[in-house]
Amino acid sequence: MLEALVGSRNSERVLIFLFAREEGYATEIARFFQTDLYGVQRKLDGLEAGGIVISKKLGRTRLYTFNPRYPLLSPLRALLEKAITFYPEEEREALLLNRRRPRRRGKPQ
Amino acid sequence: MKSVGEMNQAELAAYVHDQLRQEGIDLVLSGGAAVSIYTSNRYISHDIDFVATGLAGRAQIKRAMERLGFREVGRHYEHPDAKWFVEFPGGPPSVGTEPIARIEEIHFATGTLRVISATDCVKDRLSAYYHFHDRQSLHQARLVAAERDVDLAEVRRWSEVEGKLDEFAKIEHELSRNSHAEAPPHSL
Repeated sequence: MLEALVGSRNSERVLIFLFAREEGYATEIARFFQTDLYGVQRKLDGLEAGGIVISKKLGRTRLYTFNPRYPLLSPLRALLEKAITFYPEEEREALLLNRRRPRRRGKPQ
Repeated sequence: MKSVGEMNQAELAAYVHDQLRQEGIDLVLSGGAAVSIYTSNRYISHDIDFVATGLAGRAQIKRAMERLGFREVGRHYEHPDAKWFVEFPGGPPSVGTEPIARIEEIHFATGTLRVISATDCVKDRLSAYYHFHDRQSLHQARLVAAERDVDLAEVRRWSEVEGKLDEFAKIEHELSRNSHAEAPPHSL
């Protein structure tokens, strides 16, 4: 949907994922969209170099979020908010309705 | 003219700025190096951050830097004789959600350097403090405000636009020039 605008399908996937989940790491994003990890990593690198996302290391994982200092973040979020309404319902719900609240270690699923 | 190895940080920044400008690449100095300049090196930064103010692309910058003897290493540039890295962070020239308001020109023997104003430099540091709770950035903002004429009313207005007026109210007294206590030089 945004592929022509943002340059590639993987760019759109990364942006939509980070919009929906607030944060994410490359393996998680690649797994969600069933795409190759290298392509996702390359897009995350490019978005970070462009100042659109930032990352930090959490253990062995590099976690990405939108850069709160990116001056076009607000209109970008508005665009992604609109774009996600056009996603298939199943995919949209899978993106948005993941569990965010904590779950105590050892608690049965 | 001094060789690259003999230049101090500001002279090197002015040299790179001037050389790239001759190639049609317009830049403005931002980040920690601007803090170093405004505080007469009471804060020491180990890199030189330039933001492109024109439409120059990364490939054009890379070609120009390589002509000056710099080599791209990851996301920054290194020169075998220089003590500082040079970086070109992405994104439009901005402080928070607003474009950079004013640019100062400072002349050195090695060239003319365009640098964000002291007021924008304080905003830039406060942006990092507001969003990442980075007290080192707040300290740098205090150092600049202590040594330069900073328009605190403008910083207040900008903080409100950023949705950070409450945070600004808590630290405003620390940015007042006469409230500043002597602080040791600070390094990253």
